Amino acid sequence: MAESQFHLRIESHPILDFGDREPLTFTFDGQAMTGREGDTIASALHANGIKVLGYHFKTGRPRGYYCAIGNCSSCLMIVDGKANVRTCTELLRAGMVVETQTDRGMPDVL
Amino acid sequence: MLYETGIVTDDLLESVLPSPGRRARGPYAIIECFQEIPCNPCTISCPFGAILPMGDINDLPELVPDLCTGCGICAGVCPGLAIFIVDESIGDGRAAISIPYEFVPLPAKGDTVSAVDRAGNHVTDATVTRVSGVKKKGTPLVTLSVPLDLVHQIRFFQQDKQLAVSQPLMTSEKEREDKQSLSEATLICRCEGITIGDVRKLVEEGYTTVDEIKRISRAGMGPCQARTCGPLIADLIARITGVPVEDVEPSAHRPPVKPLPISFFMEEESDVLT
Repeated sequence: MAESQFHLRIESHPILDFGDREPLTFTFDGQAMTGREGDTIASALHANGIKVLGYHFKTGRPRGYYCAIGNCSSCLMIVDGKANVRTCTELLRAGMVVETQTDRGMPDVL
Repeated sequence: MLYETGIVTDDLLESVLPSPGRRARGPYAIIECFQEIPCNPCTISCPFGAILPMGDINDLPELVPDLCTGCGICAGVCPGLAIFIVDESIGDGRAAISIPYEFVPLPAKGDTVSAVDRAGNHVTDATVTRVSGVKKKGTPLVTLSVPLDLVHQIRFFQQDKQLAVSQPLMTSEKEREDKQSLSEATLICRCEGITIGDVRKLVEEGYTTVDEIKRISRAGMGPCQARTCGPLIADLIARITGVPVEDVEPSAHRPPVKPLPISFFMEEESDVLT
């Protein structure tokens, strides 16, 4: 899925200059996607048109961006097998495997 | 009214307007900043010392109109876009107002735009006489030529005149109440999925402290550790029981203050704090 079809990137801004940023490839629920260097996981997903980051373990309600500063629990996802990663503040790295989380998530050491 | 509508009222405007004599003499900054927040770029950017140093960073800025040259530096650095440069000395019944503008595309000199008031309603057509700061850092300032008697009504403009439509303000008491009323289904603890209705039911059953609500419902025990819902639940208990919020027993705060992986506590190698 091409990132550009959603036009969610701000390419031209009167105050800020984002410069040219390297593309980074990752997967979301098995689907190949491209973000850019400096993205958080959630911002890269957003740019790819993914606005539902997970489903609440109890109510089943879809969860999207809420605080975007790592404070609330709205953006928790499974990243490289690790649950409860706050994707709104975690920077995207090439090759990340990002998955939707629908339960509380188990501690990775147990 | 300011906090309900976000629109500066006449008496607030009056409180920051320079004297008639100063206004007639040449351009000046008008700082429409009426909420104490920790912010001081205007103060430190003024090369003429016309915005007094703040004793506390939360103080409101104070302009000395006689020192102000109307250069516009403060208007270009104000993150709240709350500063405008007004020149009432140009004659012919006209005035110039420079408005910080953070949208693309910028208008061009000579364009006709719709000058709008603080609520976004069309006031008059106006000509763009200057666009500054395009290549520089900071917010571009767009200067409009407008009728002198309207200059303090005008605070923004629309290039697409269709957008400058009249919209009634949300002014009636009932409209404001409707807007502020909360649904029973409104989430109050996002981590554990607890709604206002859930909390209300528990309060009515007799759980009237934040810790009691927490223990019976798990509200506040999720990954965010009550950073979002803690104060909201205290406020809700106060509203339902009719006691002041200061009298609602707060929850106990203990470390850790941010979520940590279990491995951190199991003396394993951890990069959490590096």
